[in-house]
Amino acid sequence: MIKRLTTVLFLVVLICLMDTSTVFGQSDQTGQKRVTGTYAITNATVITQPGKWLSATTIVIKDGLITEIGENAAVPVEAKVIPGDSLFVYAGFIDMGGEAGVQKPEEAQKPENFDPSNPPNDVAGITPERTVLDYWDTANGSITEWRKTGFTIAQLLPKGEMLPGKTALVVYGNAESTNILKAATGLFGQFETARGVYPGTTLGLMAKYRELYKNAELKNQHAQMFANNSNGISRPEKNKSLEAFYPVINKQIPVVFEANEELEIRRVLKLKKELGFDLVLMDMEEGSNLAEELLAANASVVLSLKLPDDKAQKADMEDATEESKTAHKRVVEAYEEALSHAGNFEKAGVKFGFSTNQVKKDDALKNLRLMIANGLTEEGALAALTTNPASILGISKYAGTIEEGKSANLVLATDSLFAEDSKINYVMADGYLYEYDISKTKKTEGNTSDVTGEWNYTSETPGGTSTGEIRFTEKSGNLSGEIDVDDPNGGGTLTRPLENISYDGKTLSFTFSIEVQGQKLTVHTKGKVDGDDFNGSISIRDMGDFSLTAKKAPDFKF
Amino acid sequence: MRKLTYIICSLLFIGSQQLTAQTPKGSVLIQNATVLTVSQGTLEDSDVLVEDGIIKKVGKDLSASNNVETIDASGKFLMPGIIDAHSHLALDVVNEATAPITAEVAIADVINPFDVGIYRALAGGTTIAHGLHGSANAIGGQSITMKYRYGTRNPEDIIMKEAPRTIKFALGENPTRVHGRGKNIQPRTRMGVEAVIRNGFNEALQYKKKWKTYNQSKEQKNSKATHPEYNLRLQTLADILDGEIIIHCHSYRADEIYMLINVCRDFGVDKLVFTHVNEGFKVAPELAKYTMGASVFSDWWAYKFEVYYSTAYNAAILTENGVITSINSDSDELIRHLYHEAAKTQRYGGLSDEQALALITINPAKQLGIDEYVGSIEEGKQGDLVIFDHHPLSVYAVPQMTFVDGIKYFDINEDKDDQRLKVSPTEMVEPVYLQVEEESCMHGVELFTEGTTFHHSH
Repeated sequence: MIKRLTTVLFLVVLICLMDTSTVFGQSDQTGQKRVTGTYAITNATVITQPGKWLSATTIVIKDGLITEIGENAAVPVEAKVIPGDSLFVYAGFIDMGGEAGVQKPEEAQKPENFDPSNPPNDVAGITPERTVLDYWDTANGSITEWRKTGFTIAQLLPKGEMLPGKTALVVYGNAESTNILKAATGLFGQFETARGVYPGTTLGLMAKYRELYKNAELKNQHAQMFANNSNGISRPEKNKSLEAFYPVINKQIPVVFEANEELEIRRVLKLKKELGFDLVLMDMEEGSNLAEELLAANASVVLSLKLPDDKAQKADMEDATEESKTAHKRVVEAYEEALSHAGNFEKAGVKFGFSTNQVKKDDALKNLRLMIANGLTEEGALAALTTNPASILGISKYAGTIEEGKSANLVLATDSLFAEDSKINYVMADGYLYEYDISKTKKTEGNTSDVTGEWNYTSETPGGTSTGEIRFTEKSGNLSGEIDVDDPNGGGTLTRPLENISYDGKTLSFTFSIEVQGQKLTVHTKGKVDGDDFNGSISIRDMGDFSLTAKKAPDFKF
Repeated sequence: MRKLTYIICSLLFIGSQQLTAQTPKGSVLIQNATVLTVSQGTLEDSDVLVEDGIIKKVGKDLSASNNVETIDASGKFLMPGIIDAHSHLALDVVNEATAPITAEVAIADVINPFDVGIYRALAGGTTIAHGLHGSANAIGGQSITMKYRYGTRNPEDIIMKEAPRTIKFALGENPTRVHGRGKNIQPRTRMGVEAVIRNGFNEALQYKKKWKTYNQSKEQKNSKATHPEYNLRLQTLADILDGEIIIHCHSYRADEIYMLINVCRDFGVDKLVFTHVNEGFKVAPELAKYTMGASVFSDWWAYKFEVYYSTAYNAAILTENGVITSINSDSDELIRHLYHEAAKTQRYGGLSDEQALALITINPAKQLGIDEYVGSIEEGKQGDLVIFDHHPLSVYAVPQMTFVDGIKYFDINEDKDDQRLKVSPTEMVEPVYLQVEEESCMHGVELFTEGTTFHHSH
């Protein structure tokens, strides 16, 4: 008995040992691999869907799925626990049109004896047969950046011209995974044409689109005739571009057409009316006055998260003439109108999502807050980030809300999402957890407006006097900038970004780099700001110090 | 039941509102004006009543119901809205310059109703303009006749639905420079232009035949026929051959004008208008006999080699030879004073008031195929009218009010400083260019100019 027990013990130990050895065997030296696929966010405020809140709630996630939600949900022993006491949990955002990680295909080679009036389709930017997934890199850094902003699922837009290919739906999960949710969600179209070939303008593009569509319809009929009864029917010639339209013609996928401005939107609606395809309007920056037409056309609406610059609002109009002030008022009105489109769409009952395609990632949440300040409700904004795109994309079964059984795509913020100081602390995408350092806030001391704007500099070096422009801009208290310098390799000027900018109210310093004969030189600049004057020096290692003075160009006024 | 009636009534109301919203029509009574009817002489101290967009009555002592606006035009002159047979105003794109034939493209796709130039044209009395494709191609795109109903955001609302289809052709230097010298494809010479057009028409004939054969065999029982390829370009050319589209052809030299007349006669096409036509005076009898007329500049020439042989008497010579002649602008600036352009024919050629006014009213209407609707003040025609403070052929004349379909779109007394419909949210001041790029025939085309700077390119 004892012996048997020893044997059992031995076996148990052996199995344990074997187990550990397998663990060691699979261990990943980089430390990237997660320890567990089980998570518990405890005691958090959970916004399960727009307008629905649960307080002090625990969410349990297992291997990419939300398995339990509730005040008393049991935390599994293997779970990594995220104390959510001060966190607000939202469903992961869905980007209706993004291009994170999407490469532009190489330009098509022009054949010999090329006739620009009758180019091959690929030279003319007509490649609807392509899929964006063939040009997508799951390890691309910009995916990381957009995930940090809260986006967990994205409809990827292919790059190119008129008809660059098919869109696809992906999740921003682990780079080791394929992360594909749907391989073809729409046929992407744009008002962009290849240079110097037919079609070269919106005129040609509209006509070409009509012709392609009609021929695709005819070829589809022919193919069906041939499939049904090929006896006596000529073989339909294969044509990959036209065949790419079949799922559109058969109403399996929509046309996703990028249209920023009102007239472009109207042009796409015109094509839709003539040809009858299902339509998703992508990257709209205006058009809330067209709400009725859009509803009547049953078109899905995707608003760009891009907003115009607020330079009109900020313009100094004190000394302007009455005439200028009147004109300026209209510009400000137009700016405010641009901010209110989302709110107006919501009021008109148009269900819309957002796209990130045109916007800088740092502006996405800021612009949403601006839209909310101009009439969009917080619920409407959240719906446009979650439930609306899920329903437009037909993925509500597994995405868009926080419910048991849905995919584990979550955003954990330090405050109510649209509150000014709210920061995203964690994002979970496809069940993988990403944590962000929310303590890091880099603020430049001193009043940055002393520096922002254009400066004209003069620098004396042994090579002679050089002049140029330095431009500083400010965003959330951080300065950025660029400098125009004479190209040391001859011919024209170069624009180089400024780095390590620091300003304390008096001393301004920054660096920039130039390349001379393959060698990178860092230029350190330091000096004092006195009103509109900057007096300083530049130093280059092994070359010495030289003077640099600059004068600020007056701010633009009427 | 009453509820249902109520719902139906309100639906009808909404429906009719939407219809009027598309092309609004107005009523107005203009009294005591000197009415320049163009087609029926000058009527002193007369009234014109427009009801629901249509001229209901022309005469004396007319009255209208109380809700119709009445305008006292005593001492003023009333003429039909001015019609410009050749303009590129309010278009986002002018040239699809990438192929020698682009008959399939449609200017109707690129109308920009926000262009404040429309309002400026109205302020010059112009109510209708023919928005043309440019002259980069031997056969350019299909043009569009627009009624300048400024204020709408919908391009469809300014299309004159009654107008027949038109298309732009171009001869001479522009298509040969863009394609022959610029891209090394046909046409490189004037002969090449003719060949391109003839080839296009011949291909269209073959295309028509293919589809005819297919459609006939398709109707037979158990047909196994499969369709030919759809080609919008050839289909459009076939429509020209079928007489459904009026050609407006950019041309200068007499030889090439007569060339296209012959080409069209060979293919049985008789809906043909020549535009620019600087050497038209040399072939005036032929133009009178075989075409729907010539639309000319009053006194523009010598801006390139093929327009050196010209004369300001051109319009008068053509008119006296029985050619339906119009004076066009081809310019966002000239379109605001076409009445001055017409008046020049009195200085050069001594045309009568009626002949001169016809050049910018009924004659362009005939060339656009819309003369049954507009172009003169007649009962039953559309209420497009302009009131001038002086006779419109006087150098002192200033338009006071402009009406389209009986609706007032311009009133000099209500003219605001800023008439833009759409304002950029970021442009502090609309961009100002020292060298203005005119919306001309060659707008948007990268020209092949052999090292010279090219300015004027109509």
